[in-house]
Amino acid sequence: MTAVRQIDPPEHLHAGELTFLAAADDGRRPPGWHLTPRAVVTFVCGSGGLPVPGPGGSRVIDAKFVGERALVERCVVTLAGERGLLLVGEPGTAKSMLSELLAAAICGTSALAVQGTAGTSEDQLRYGWNYALLLAKGPSAESLVPSPILTAMTTGAVARVEEITRCLPEVQDALVSIMSERRITVPELAGQDGAVGYAVPGFCLIATANLRDRGVSEMSAALKRRFNFEVVPPIADFDAEVALVTRQATAAVERGGATFAVDEDVLAILVTAFRDLRTGRSAEGWEVERPSSVMSTAEAVAVAASIGLAAAYLPGPDPLSLLPGQLLGVARKDDPADAARLLAYWDGALRRRAEAGSRSWRQLWEHRDVLRD
Amino acid sequence: MTDPRAVVEELAGDDRVQLIGVRHHSPVLAVAVPALLDAFAPETVLVELPAEMQPWVRWLADPGTTAPVALAADAHVFYPFADFSPELAALRWAQRNGVPVICCDLPLTDPDWESGREDPSGPSLGAVVRTALTGRDDDDLWDRLIEAGAPGSTPEGVRRAALAAGWALRHNTAVGPLDLRREAWMRGHITRTPGRVAVVVGAFHAPALLSGPLPEEASSPGPAPVISLVPYTFGLLDARSGYPAGIRDPRWQQAVHDCGADPARIRSAVGAFAVEVTRELRAQGHPAGPAEAAEVTRLAADLAGMRTLPAPGRGELVEALQTVLAQGSPAGVGRGVAQAMETVLIGRQRGRLPAGAPVTGLRPAVERELARLKLPGPGRPAERIRLDPLRSPTDRVRDLTIRRLTACGIPYATPGTAGPAVGGESLTSTWRVEWTPGIDAALALVGLHGVTLAHAAEGMLTTRRHRETRAGGPTPEQSLTGLEAAASCAATTLTHARLTDLRRSVCHTGTVTQLVTALHLLTRLGKGHFPSLAPAALGTAVAEARADLHAAAVAAVAGTAGSTRVEDARALYDLVRAADEAGLLLRLSHTIRALTRDGSPLIRGAAAAVGVLTGYEEPSAFGHRLASWVTLPGTAATDRLRGALSVAGALLQSGDEILTPLLTTIDNLPDDDFVRRLPALRGGFDALTPADRDRLLTTVTARHGPLDEHLPTDAATLATWLSADRAGLAALTALALPPTSESPHPAPAELSFSAPSSSALPSTITAEQRWRLLLGRESDQLPARQRRLATALDELYGAGHGEGAWTAGGGGGQEAAYPQVRDWLDELQALFGADVRDEVLARAAEHGRLDAVLAADPERVRPSIDLLHAVLSLAGGLPEARLARLRPLVARLTAELTAQLARRIRPALTGLGTSRPTLRPTGRLDLAATVRRNLHTVRADAAGRPQLVPERPVFRTPGRRSVDWQVILLVDVSGSMEQSTIWAALTASIVAGVPALRTHFVTFSTEVIDLTDRVTDPLSLLLEIRVGGGTHIAAALRYARQIALVPSRTLVITISDFEEGFPLGGLLTATRALTDDGITLLGCASLDDRGAPRYSTGTAAQLAAAGMPVAALSPTELARWIGDQIR
Repeated sequence: MTAVRQIDPPEHLHAGELTFLAAADDGRRPPGWHLTPRAVVTFVCGSGGLPVPGPGGSRVIDAKFVGERALVERCVVTLAGERGLLLVGEPGTAKSMLSELLAAAICGTSALAVQGTAGTSEDQLRYGWNYALLLAKGPSAESLVPSPILTAMTTGAVARVEEITRCLPEVQDALVSIMSERRITVPELAGQDGAVGYAVPGFCLIATANLRDRGVSEMSAALKRRFNFEVVPPIADFDAEVALVTRQATAAVERGGATFAVDEDVLAILVTAFRDLRTGRSAEGWEVERPSSVMSTAEAVAVAASIGLAAAYLPGPDPLSLLPGQLLGVARKDDPADAARLLAYWDGALRRRAEAGSRSWRQLWEHRDVLRD
Repeated sequence: MTDPRAVVEELAGDDRVQLIGVRHHSPVLAVAVPALLDAFAPETVLVELPAEMQPWVRWLADPGTTAPVALAADAHVFYPFADFSPELAALRWAQRNGVPVICCDLPLTDPDWESGREDPSGPSLGAVVRTALTGRDDDDLWDRLIEAGAPGSTPEGVRRAALAAGWALRHNTAVGPLDLRREAWMRGHITRTPGRVAVVVGAFHAPALLSGPLPEEASSPGPAPVISLVPYTFGLLDARSGYPAGIRDPRWQQAVHDCGADPARIRSAVGAFAVEVTRELRAQGHPAGPAEAAEVTRLAADLAGMRTLPAPGRGELVEALQTVLAQGSPAGVGRGVAQAMETVLIGRQRGRLPAGAPVTGLRPAVERELARLKLPGPGRPAERIRLDPLRSPTDRVRDLTIRRLTACGIPYATPGTAGPAVGGESLTSTWRVEWTPGIDAALALVGLHGVTLAHAAEGMLTTRRHRETRAGGPTPEQSLTGLEAAASCAATTLTHARLTDLRRSVCHTGTVTQLVTALHLLTRLGKGHFPSLAPAALGTAVAEARADLHAAAVAAVAGTAGSTRVEDARALYDLVRAADEAGLLLRLSHTIRALTRDGSPLIRGAAAAVGVLTGYEEPSAFGHRLASWVTLPGTAATDRLRGALSVAGALLQSGDEILTPLLTTIDNLPDDDFVRRLPALRGGFDALTPADRDRLLTTVTARHGPLDEHLPTDAATLATWLSADRAGLAALTALALPPTSESPHPAPAELSFSAPSSSALPSTITAEQRWRLLLGRESDQLPARQRRLATALDELYGAGHGEGAWTAGGGGGQEAAYPQVRDWLDELQALFGADVRDEVLARAAEHGRLDAVLAADPERVRPSIDLLHAVLSLAGGLPEARLARLRPLVARLTAELTAQLARRIRPALTGLGTSRPTLRPTGRLDLAATVRRNLHTVRADAAGRPQLVPERPVFRTPGRRSVDWQVILLVDVSGSMEQSTIWAALTASIVAGVPALRTHFVTFSTEVIDLTDRVTDPLSLLLEIRVGGGTHIAAALRYARQIALVPSRTLVITISDFEEGFPLGGLLTATRALTDDGITLLGCASLDDRGAPRYSTGTAAQLAAAGMPVAALSPTELARWIGDQIR
């Protein structure tokens, strides 16, 4: 009996589906893979509501990643070719989730991950030592502390490096030799067992990078050449995004023990505003000035959740009246000029919608005084 | 529901009629068609071409014809043919086998064509059905089902699949009346034609051809169209070129056709394309090699495998290329990949007609058109004509024809002197028109783009737009010109496209001037000033573009914050008024408030006035603010007044609320204060026109009562009274006795002591005289001493410009001007003091008074950046001989200012080169230190060997990188000598003194000049700078990339207003290239002590997104930033 977790890893959460899919498709699979490539795509994108026939009866697979199927197909094919996959995109576009899902589906674990930060050092990507043991006994396989990547290599699993661009460039370059030579040499163990850690078939690497904080600019050209790049776009479909925001905000509020009682209308407005500001173009095709702050789906979920919490714990006026202030809070993060851009949004798209006679937009327009300074 | 299988069986299984449903471009069908026809051996082949094209069939199928070629009937119907067009394959087969061909489509003379002209090819397949089949957005059902799925299938299988796709498509759609009639017509032909027939027809129409009603005869045929057969190119055939009936990536389609749609050969073609794209990329300077090409091929093939396709299609190839090569950066390598793909996949193939084919196309069409309009054609003498297009319909057509010829680049008409005016708008136009021999050659070239003049003009303009887009544009300037050209050629579609460009480019990156121009152009469009383009044709596009421009105007207002130019103050008013009309109130009021708070003095003044004019601020509040400016020091007061008055001079006469506080303040100033401030204030009121000044003076006089010029008694007595009075007051003040509130003697009018304040000395300059001095009017009515003041200032300011300037000469012209400039300077010093003299001197330099600057004694001048700025602005246009005389002054100013600045900057740069230790565990164990630190833990283990238990491991810090940094300053010198430029030069010379840094100083306009060899000497640096030219930041960035040695230790600082005159795409690519190298970038919108920049906010925002943050910095902040980066 495992203890209750805040977030369950996908290989655990979807264990049933994974076993089912592994049994259902007996096609050819790349060495070391638990599922066929096509089954991996089905696992990530769902079966589109159609039941997949399998040994224990057929079963509908839920979509876990909302986005283009072709993108997932490219990712899977890249990994099947044992090439590195780099997922780039704006923050909050579910890059990490996609990498976890892929890892869980391909090798049954998403735990072999390194989180990139400015403090990430080379031994987190290659290997470290149990220093006490090292000094006491000298270098031996026993005192070696393998990194998740070395573990993945020797077991033929998928290793993940989150936010790779936040590592210092010289640290990132430790990956170059790993990805081209597919082995890690441990010079300290020369002449002993395990002096060279070889990658067994099935080892591959998924990295994610955020286009906003540093871009991929600090990656060396050598490293870039060893990755296939996939840009994960924000969710393109409006309804899918509203559904996602509703689902996740509800879950967040309910974890707190309250009930989520925010109108669908309010959420639709919230998502519309986020999409307009994110894309720089309103749903009607009007030009909107983009704030430099991130207006991702994840932020929309956070705003929806805090409106939900406010409505649950501090029931008061119309939840719509909280929206301008919340938006201002999101937009103001990076650049003070973003507040002015938000005003321009109110002046432009929002005012036109209010004038066109939509009731909720008119209400939102009436709450504009919140934005004045 | 009908079973699709049964339907297809019925359609495909007819014994007499072989239906071949095609798409106009389809390599797999083009391959299959000859085999199908061979198998069926029809006696007649019917193709879906209008009956009028029948005579051209033999030329199309002629072995001497090289595809691509196009058949066109006027401008409306356009049939491009390539080797991969199934129709052409059928025609060629028929020619080879001697089988007759019938063009079975509805004749173009039929009036029904008029009804459904928009889309001659039926609804697009992709627009109708989207299935769960994966594919890219630009792939449609046909691409997925037929093109990608067919390779390797039998010809009959392909035919059946195509028929099924056509049926599926039709199944869900309402078919238009034109399509129904065309199908009926084709059915008629099929029924009439005896024997076995093969019908090559659009897949959409195929299901309707076997059964249905037969056509009734056409009621009244329209005029017969002129058919032309013209050579074509792959560039125009590509769907993105804007030409109708095109297809994506013709060269790929050609390759599939050439492979005979054999899966294995297609796979190897994919490899060849991948290699070509990587080679192209390498040629552009991006790293890409065989390894990448192999991966592209592998990925494309595996994707196809996963999608159960026999061979990779265009979609898979494009996906693989982008995934492997584009590296997720649309602005950097991504652009290069897109360009390489365009070059490789579109191709350059050109068509050719066989010898002997009749000459058709543009030239005869133009001759006919000219003859119809009675304009001189070939062999006729030149004529001068005047056109009135808004009144006469004939003139309108003539005007249109001439403009279209001009748009095609055909040298037929030259505008006359009274022709299209440059700035204003003239409603008639005059031209000199002549048919010159060069026109024949030009028409032959242009003929590629269309067979009628309208078509060709639109084609030429579209191609130009396409070219601009490929170059990363269009720039705001290009989209403005393009919009005007498109509108005057009445190219509606293109005008729409150009409006979109305008919204994209001008709104995002346009300068204030361009925004105003764009608004003006839109007004002309909206009012129908383009004679041939009815405003209604554009629908709401103009209004929408206008709304966007207004929003952009509001956004651009913030960018004027740092301006010191009166024109910007006026533009501010224009922009604000436009935006105000559009109702963009929230942000506008926010921005205006911010400007009154943070702008440069001039803009603060202007913003305050604009605030009143647009109703954001109370007039009384503005009045108090205006009055408070009077007591500000020197230039601060001048600039604020100048700003406010240049926008709203008339405000002052409007109401008491505004004027009263100002009057009171001026009246209450003690004499010496007033005189000291006089030059500064006079400079502020200089913004008013003479007529405005007169009106203001009248208002002031009216408030103070009539002016009594007559003394109550003779002057000598009055003087005695006055001195006695003053002595008494002085005595009282000395004894600290307050003077009684009521003066013992009623003061004479001229000398009224209106000042109630006890501390102020009574004034001897009356309110009227003060205003005469401030406004520089009626100075002949002033007493002698004050006339000296007035004259000294008139020397600098003159009498003003604008309305009423002609009155100036008569009023104050009696005084002799100063014979020597030195006299004037001495007089200024005597009257106002040394400080004010320098201030006036700086302003004199701004006004171009070089003589005054040359006369100034370098040793006596107080160094200020304003003065140096003014002097250097003058120096730009000087010959060396006169420059030599200026040099001492500049030298002294520079030396003093550099010394001052160095004192402030040095602290920020000290200590560079020493590394700071860090204690975090870095993974590099310092073994010796660890052992030393942990010696106390040594224990003996079981075997008696000493064993160390390290509690505290010590690590080595990674090597510091603080040595030998490169600082590259790129300074924009395109506009005028800006203060930022001077600060940049001074800062550079100081930074160059730091040993750990190598400092480069590069100026750029359209050309880049490296002044690094002079960087240690600010004087020669400043005198070397030559201002003027356009702005090409991208060129400067590219140069910086060349001279950067170690990218990770290079700082590139760009000082510019970011009003880039070249395509923004290039700039962003250059920026990306630098950031991709790992170079640290910084953009300075201004480098001075005020921190209020004037710059293009749109461009700056895009640059920031590309990795160059843009900020307004002071030199000290810049030095601190450099220090922070390096430590």
